[in-house]
Amino acid sequence: MDRGYRSLADQVRAWPDDRLSRLLVARPDLATPAPQDSAQLAARAATRSSLVRALDGLDRLELTVLDALISAGQTTDDQILNNVSADRHSTRAALDRLRDLALAWDSTGGLRAVTGLADLPLVAPDVSLAGPADGPPALATSPRDATLVDRAGAGAAFEAVRRVELLLDGWGAAPPGALRSGGLGVRDLKAAAARLHVDEPTVALFIEVAAAAGLLATGPDDDGTLGWLPTVAFDGWLAQMPAERWTVLARAWIGSNRTSALVGHRDPAGKVWNALVPELVSPTVIETRRMTLTAMAALPTGEVLAAGTGGPSVLARLEWLRPRRPKSRAAEIAWTFTESAVLGITALGGLASYAGSLLDGEDPSDALAALLPEPVDHILLQADLTAVAPGPLEASLARRLGVVAEVESRGGATVYRFTPASVRRAMDLGWSAVELHDFVADVSRTPVPQPLTYLIDDTARTFGVVRIGFAEAFLRADDEHALTELLHHPAAAGMGLRRLAPTVLISTTPLDVLLPQLREAGVAPVVEAPDGSLHVARPDAQRARTPRRTPDGVGTARDAARVAAVVTAVRAGDQAAAARPAATTETLTPIGSLAALREAIDAGVSVVIGYVDNHGTRTDRVIDPLSVDGGQLRAHDRRADEVRLFAVHRISSVRPA
Amino acid sequence: MNDGPLIVQSDKTLLLEVDHARAGDARKAIAPFAELERSPEHVHTYRLTPLGLWNARAAGHDAEQVVDTLLSYSRYAVPHALLVDIAETMARYGRLRLEKHPVHGLVLASNDRPVLEEVLRAKKVAGMLGDRLDQDTVAVHPSERGNLKQALLKLGWPAEDFAGYVDGEAHAIKLAEDGWSLRPYQAEAAESFWHGGSGVVVLPCGAGKTLVGAAAMAHAQATTLILVTNTVSARQWKDELVKRTSLTADEIGEYSGTTKEIRPVTIATYQVLTTRRKGVYPHLELLDARDWGLIVYDEVHLLPAPIFRMTADLQARRRIGLTATLVREDGREGDVFSLIGPKRYDAPWKDIEAQGYIAPADCVEVRVTLPSADRLAYATAEPEERYRLASCAREKVSVVERLVAKHQGAPTLVIGQYLDQLHELAEDLDAPVISGETPVKERQRLFEAFRSGEIGLLVVSKVANFSIDLPSAEVAIQVSGSYGSRQEEAQRLGRLLRPGRDGKVAHFYTVVSRDTVDADFAANRQRFLAEQGYAYRIMDADDI
Repeated sequence: MDRGYRSLADQVRAWPDDRLSRLLVARPDLATPAPQDSAQLAARAATRSSLVRALDGLDRLELTVLDALISAGQTTDDQILNNVSADRHSTRAALDRLRDLALAWDSTGGLRAVTGLADLPLVAPDVSLAGPADGPPALATSPRDATLVDRAGAGAAFEAVRRVELLLDGWGAAPPGALRSGGLGVRDLKAAAARLHVDEPTVALFIEVAAAAGLLATGPDDDGTLGWLPTVAFDGWLAQMPAERWTVLARAWIGSNRTSALVGHRDPAGKVWNALVPELVSPTVIETRRMTLTAMAALPTGEVLAAGTGGPSVLARLEWLRPRRPKSRAAEIAWTFTESAVLGITALGGLASYAGSLLDGEDPSDALAALLPEPVDHILLQADLTAVAPGPLEASLARRLGVVAEVESRGGATVYRFTPASVRRAMDLGWSAVELHDFVADVSRTPVPQPLTYLIDDTARTFGVVRIGFAEAFLRADDEHALTELLHHPAAAGMGLRRLAPTVLISTTPLDVLLPQLREAGVAPVVEAPDGSLHVARPDAQRARTPRRTPDGVGTARDAARVAAVVTAVRAGDQAAAARPAATTETLTPIGSLAALREAIDAGVSVVIGYVDNHGTRTDRVIDPLSVDGGQLRAHDRRADEVRLFAVHRISSVRPA
Repeated sequence: MNDGPLIVQSDKTLLLEVDHARAGDARKAIAPFAELERSPEHVHTYRLTPLGLWNARAAGHDAEQVVDTLLSYSRYAVPHALLVDIAETMARYGRLRLEKHPVHGLVLASNDRPVLEEVLRAKKVAGMLGDRLDQDTVAVHPSERGNLKQALLKLGWPAEDFAGYVDGEAHAIKLAEDGWSLRPYQAEAAESFWHGGSGVVVLPCGAGKTLVGAAAMAHAQATTLILVTNTVSARQWKDELVKRTSLTADEIGEYSGTTKEIRPVTIATYQVLTTRRKGVYPHLELLDARDWGLIVYDEVHLLPAPIFRMTADLQARRRIGLTATLVREDGREGDVFSLIGPKRYDAPWKDIEAQGYIAPADCVEVRVTLPSADRLAYATAEPEERYRLASCAREKVSVVERLVAKHQGAPTLVIGQYLDQLHELAEDLDAPVISGETPVKERQRLFEAFRSGEIGLLVVSKVANFSIDLPSAEVAIQVSGSYGSRQEEAQRLGRLLRPGRDGKVAHFYTVVSRDTVDADFAANRQRFLAEQGYAYRIMDADDI
């Protein structure tokens, strides 16, 4: 830049709108709340907390360049290019990025870093920026057939979907209680693990992912106590194809800041973490997850991470890309590997081909669907009373078969076993022996074995020998004619009467409704047993409300709109400031004075401040501001000729000297 | 997706669709590491267990092969977690080795130090190990060879035994193949055993396990101790050995409750070895009476627990176990693995049957309806009485009569548990009874008469269940049996599965009382038989 600006605010003011928008997108903390004008925006960009955030997003090269810039003070691009031992092209890109992020700006004296940066440690003490800062380290890979990766991944994906369904299906019928802390009890976790045939970390992952996908939430159960229930969205999810269901889970996982891997481990205080407790979140885990997967996605087809060295090489790359990120990263990468393998996003050390589109926000369902087993519409019946479905069954068939037989083994195929209990259960639900015979003959591709026929007939023979019924009221009379008469009364049609024995009628109408009706019909009944009503009700599967979440698209649209609004506001503020008469350059608000002070620091000029001292007396002082930090201004006081600290809130005005 | 015959389930079972074109190949490929659990008509179920995987490892298969087999025959994608689990399990076998050290004798060696450290810290092995010789080697008390192997298996780190065997006292034994020859699978079984050193051969009843034993002896060419379940079985071994090998009757001794002979080849019963007097086993010295070169365990699945303890001390001798099934009712499959050895040969029943060596059996369940009076008596009986009441229903007698009449001329066995019922039946059918009370001589005479066709019908009690040889029974009628255990069913069916003359179909009838606990046991039996792949029919007593 040949000309340079007087301050960062000046530079930002000169930027075109789209560049300003980019800055606000890259550093979202600058946009909330919307700054009044460029001066305030620049001031905010120079605060410590905002700088720290911005630095966190830099890679090793960018930090190295920034480091060189800070030590050089004011300099030129070329000098930096010479000082940094990396190829000029990427160094130049790094410089541009620093400018875009408002971490460096072109002052009249040359390129310089934003003032506050000098006081910040760029990297943790144990990380060194010394040495060449060329591109990110390569990943250790080994060849592996891509189709094998896809097959193994699809296998895991199918399992994950099936297990989440099994988990939530069970919890819909018998929801586990929610702990007071909001989590899930250890016992419930263990029970779920046993039911799903997986270990506890895996089931914890499924639970967390289900919750993140909005399929599981707390809600009141039957007794009104708080429990973990499948949500209404779960029913919608069930109706989808397996590949679509997987997409829901995989997206939820990628976008979830939950650290389910810590479930079962102890927190620093020695308390065991429960699944689903609100505390199990990490601000960095999403980024680590995405970066790990992105790194894997970048591998050429047919290459996967090498078995032993692949993990560490990913860690090395992430350390290069984000040198400032915390120590927990190694663990987070390891979690990402395990969790993504369980969910079928990766397999055998490689990213499954269908999962790549997840990272770009596209729909992987179709690609995955091609790899999943086709639904089958038949079973194989065997003489040991098992039925094997040699693939995932069509949903309606699976439901019906689940009624008449017990599931014995699950996986790619499902093994069902017919037992007297299961056949009886089917009959309880209204199946007749004939229907059962027809059903098994219909869906079986093999002849129905004789023992199964016998089982159904045997069960049918003893089924219903004793009958139990449902009645709201009974009517009893020693006089059979009285009852016959009543049955034939025109009003009796609406009473739901049925004759069980010559002297006994039952009614489906509740006693308190029936009684006046009977009286109206001219019968004078006596209420025999006030407590004689029987109430049978089958509990429904329970659901909680789906937590409201904004769809991805809406979120980004909203963000874009907000950024645009902020840009407009800033512009308006700038115009207002420009239109203000020169005499009122004196700023009166604390934020305004801060901005003015920072501007002065950046420009290295003296200002006159109005300062209220301990006694409440306001004095004007000419100072050379040095830095603003923690509510205090460090400045050289011309009058006292020494460097002093001023409390910012006591500065009532700032104007140019 | 590939169109394989195999479906891998997440609970580690493998489903094999038998009608599939590649089913035969797949079966051969998975047989070394997966255990056949059920083999009904359409889909066979195999299970992956640590023992099965270690058996495969012992036979020289590695995890890569197993994973490759699963992937190439599997119809659907195989869950990654399962593959990892297989690799990890298999890698556990052989991390520790028992070796012969030129100076220190028996040592436990490992090149995986953490594993060795873990094991050394385990309480279970504490007393069995001696000094630490170097970082990877620990001395082992020679007497603890078996116990150590047992303990290591329980810890999940089964050791591979390279410490070798003593040759034993040499004794010439040859198969006398005049007019007969070993069936291919028998020769193969003996061969696999010999190469493995020690181990178990799994063959169905009637497939000629005795001959596998004889072939193993011919390999060993050394004095041999044969352990069998009972005296009858001991005599049959002796007869068979005299007939099929170069051994003469003088070279074979019987060591049982009645005779105590110790000869180059000695056949002892489990019972005599496990007899205890005043807290000691007086016949234990038999094990050291000679320098045995080979020990044969007949019916390993019935091996009593004390024999396991004795076997632990016999680790330096070659051991062959013969059995129809590795499944033990007491769940001590692991002890068989560590003390006798890994499975060396296995052929599923159905396959041998298909090769024509065993007659296919037709299993029929005949249901009798109890008259109302009996049903009432049954309903009001004490629970412990119920089974007897149901089993001994009068109605069964006429059914058995009709069945016997139907198979007039075919050698027939009637099997039952309750002596009263058996005697009653014998009277009605005019047939001799063999029970526990029958003297051995008489028992053998009757069996011989049955074998020669002199007697066409025998009523036998439970004693007939174990290791007797009734080669020509073509029909068996079971009227009662204790608790339908899987092992008992295997035995029962074994009686029938002898090669019938001119490939005749054997018949297996069970007569059960409808709607009683008897029928519940029958349901177990039905499941077991169907799982073994036998056709199973149910009939009403009136339809005979």
